[in-house]
Amino acid sequence: MKIGVFVCYCGENIGRTVDCAAVAKELSAYPGVAHAEAYKYMCSDPGQNLIKQAIKEKNLDAVVVGSCSPHMHEKTFRKACASAGVNPYMVEIANLREHCSWIHDDIPSATAKAIDLVRIAVEKVKYNEPLQTIQVPVTKRALVIGGGIAGIQSALDIANAGFPVVLVEKEPSIGGHMSQLSETFPTLDCSQCILTPRMVEVYQHSNITLLTYSEVEKVEGFIGNFKVTVRKKARSVKDEVCTGCGLCVQNCPIKKKAQSEFDESLTTRPAIYVPFPQAVPNIPVIDRSVCTYYKTGKCQMCKKVCGREAIDFEQQDTFLTFDIGAIIAATGYKLYKIDKKPEGHIYKGYGEYGYGELKDVIDGLQFERIASASGPTSGEILRPSDKKEPKKVVFVQCVGSRDESKGFSYCSKICCMYTAKHAMLYKHKVHDGEAYVFYMDIRSNGKGYDEFVRRAIEEDGVKYIRGRVSKIYEENGKYIVKGEDTIAGVRMEIDADMVVLATAMIPQPENSKVAQLLGIPYDKHGFMQEVHPKLRPVETSTGGIFLAGACHSPRDIPESVAMASAAAAKAMVLFGSDILEREPVVAKVEASTCAGCFYCQKVCAYSAIERKEIRDRQGNLIKVVAYVNAGLCQGCGTCNATCPSKSVELIGFRDEQIFAEIQSLSGF
Amino acid sequence: MPDLIEIAKGLLESKEVSFIIGYTKDRFGRVKPYIAKSVEDANNLMFDHHSIHNLAVYLTRLKIPENGRVGIVAKSCDIKAIIALIQENQIKREQVYIIGMNCSGVVTHSTDEWKKENIQIKCKYCADKAPMLYDAVAGTAEPFEQPDDTQEVLMQKLETMSSAERWDFWAKEFEKCIKCYACRQVCPMCYCEQCLAEKNQPQWITTSPTPAGNFSWNIIKAFHMAGRCVGCHECERACPMGIPLTLLTRKMGMVAGKEFNYRHGMAIDQPTLVGSYNFNDNEDFIK
Repeated sequence: MKIGVFVCYCGENIGRTVDCAAVAKELSAYPGVAHAEAYKYMCSDPGQNLIKQAIKEKNLDAVVVGSCSPHMHEKTFRKACASAGVNPYMVEIANLREHCSWIHDDIPSATAKAIDLVRIAVEKVKYNEPLQTIQVPVTKRALVIGGGIAGIQSALDIANAGFPVVLVEKEPSIGGHMSQLSETFPTLDCSQCILTPRMVEVYQHSNITLLTYSEVEKVEGFIGNFKVTVRKKARSVKDEVCTGCGLCVQNCPIKKKAQSEFDESLTTRPAIYVPFPQAVPNIPVIDRSVCTYYKTGKCQMCKKVCGREAIDFEQQDTFLTFDIGAIIAATGYKLYKIDKKPEGHIYKGYGEYGYGELKDVIDGLQFERIASASGPTSGEILRPSDKKEPKKVVFVQCVGSRDESKGFSYCSKICCMYTAKHAMLYKHKVHDGEAYVFYMDIRSNGKGYDEFVRRAIEEDGVKYIRGRVSKIYEENGKYIVKGEDTIAGVRMEIDADMVVLATAMIPQPENSKVAQLLGIPYDKHGFMQEVHPKLRPVETSTGGIFLAGACHSPRDIPESVAMASAAAAKAMVLFGSDILEREPVVAKVEASTCAGCFYCQKVCAYSAIERKEIRDRQGNLIKVVAYVNAGLCQGCGTCNATCPSKSVELIGFRDEQIFAEIQSLSGF
Repeated sequence: MPDLIEIAKGLLESKEVSFIIGYTKDRFGRVKPYIAKSVEDANNLMFDHHSIHNLAVYLTRLKIPENGRVGIVAKSCDIKAIIALIQENQIKREQVYIIGMNCSGVVTHSTDEWKKENIQIKCKYCADKAPMLYDAVAGTAEPFEQPDDTQEVLMQKLETMSSAERWDFWAKEFEKCIKCYACRQVCPMCYCEQCLAEKNQPQWITTSPTPAGNFSWNIIKAFHMAGRCVGCHECERACPMGIPLTLLTRKMGMVAGKEFNYRHGMAIDQPTLVGSYNFNDNEDFIK
């Protein structure tokens, strides 16, 4: 084997502490090395040409480049070698920058270490073998989990590009939290007015399969080739015959037992219900936990009034499976319910604010419903307890956010803006009312955002107080808000008629479960994790799975929509080709020595290990062995380390290669 | 209590099992493993204080057909190995008919006389324990004089040693190793078709009995037993050089018990220690 060694100065980066010429000279005499040279910038065009030229002139079989981390330029050098006729996997990188020059300052010892690093790589490359990329077919169909504005946007983008989409929503209607909002900052346009056309578009789109009241049950397979099972929960209403006339809902005798999810418990709803008038699809669902029929076996009022015989009390959950190429998680958020300390939770909550006990201490989404024209008060600002117009309202920001001692370390990002909006909407509707906002900082960085907050303060006269609230309690029919104005340096007490708490955004409780189903990481708060915060913000560490909206971190509507379109674009990149090329660095099982203990299967984080039966010609079972699905394998090597008989090898990092490296270093 | 021979005859007659792995006495009166293939063979089966061998080792050595079933005579320590083999996918529960023996202790070597000094230490911790997984039970357990746990004394001594002293201790012990691999052959949990020791590309373990090779073999073998050893002590019995191998495996078992509250071979549906992850695992040792 003829090996070429190319040592890069990386300008001053390596050259300052490593005598690169000495490294090249030392290696030129090393067994197997046919060519060695050093150059200022190996990654530059002239540098790459040096490699190509040497390959042609000296007929090299393999190349070792002493340069920066393989994360930076391994691909560059592989491509250069491939263009000169050397298999790209016959290239090894010795990391002389991050592993040597950047961390040492003594030139002779750094040079000696650099020689060792290159020598190790030369020993490894002697055992390298030419590899081909793995090609897998791509199923051009996307799954979007979550039918909020992010999921809707992703689904529409992909569907409009001509690819089929399956949109799964766990609630009876799509729309998510955006459908509950009154008006949206910073333009104050009606939330439902801009959202519902999108919802209808989803419903009518020929490329979108909409599955509401459904949950993803199982995800198998790998990028381009997922197999997804969806549980369609029993609605107790046949969606194929229901016309959405609403007779059943009107006639249901259970009116008061169930809290309306859509109105954030400010109103009640019947046992059979449509979440809100513009729901998509407009098909009711029976809440079996409150329905009289499911409790006593009597009633059936809805069935009696239904002219289409759409009510089916015996309906069961059904399971649908889909072949999917890319998955977008858009599971969204919920508000931190601060009244109760969640079971087994590390967060302490804010009992001193009286949420859940004091009737007129509400959270942001409840205020949205009160301010909404479709809400329980038809948009009039009336407090929940006695339906009177509150003349003094206190808004408290950062309840749970930016408070590691009692809530979460992160900023919920949207509260500064929606609190300004709330205060503004209140002032627009109650002209003689007073609005106070307790804040820590105003974070209004977005197009037109700061102007919006200034407008609330300067034009609408909302009083902003910089400081925290220590306690809220009831006294003589008023809610006493005790706080501090840290700018004036005085303690404050406001006797309010209503208090609105801007509570933290937290991921949906099912977020971590969905992440586990998908095999993607999530952070300690339950938000799903991107693979790189700057350069790959919508991709996850599992290929073919992307993130959109607030399941990833707190974000507002414009950001969610932008992220959703980005995720859709990533899915469409995948759908742009029929074949997917993957790195051939995957594990391989030697079936002849595999003992079938399947420890590898148990430790595999990617479910890439399968069981394969080995039978003789007569069909008798000889043994069951492990088998690596190369499409799923990410080449982490855990199976390789676990296998007691060393029957698993990681291609590109085979035991022989690693042994050669260690041996060359230890001299054994 | 039904007699072992009666049970075996019934099984072989009805062809419920294709053969029974058990014990017999050879012409010198020594107890040895025996495979009874017919009703007549069943008459040769026996069980006593000298039935020391862990016969579970044969379950993976003799290839059992996919839908086949074999019988096995097993003490409660051997049953743990059978459970472990089921846990590790080596056999299926329905492939074995376990004749659990009510055991009242066994001697260390097959020619040992039945007296206190010769009783295996493992029996001290298993005294009067009935078989925990079986299809039939035979024999009667009688109380016996408990042996002294001399190993525990040695373990405590090793704990107090410095690492240099411990190195010297094991260097001296491993020096005796002749790489006969009897410890591996007799171990029911060593079922790999090709052992690591036989792998030569790359050569993980030097084959000749040099200090380096002896260390790597014995340490690798011990590590492969971490969280897997069922404590039958067959390796130490089989070792012709008298290396105290169970000192290592017993210590590993104690660590698995202390750190992860795990014992191998206790329930067929229990996830294995290496093959499972528990959020509540005590991770103090990594910090």
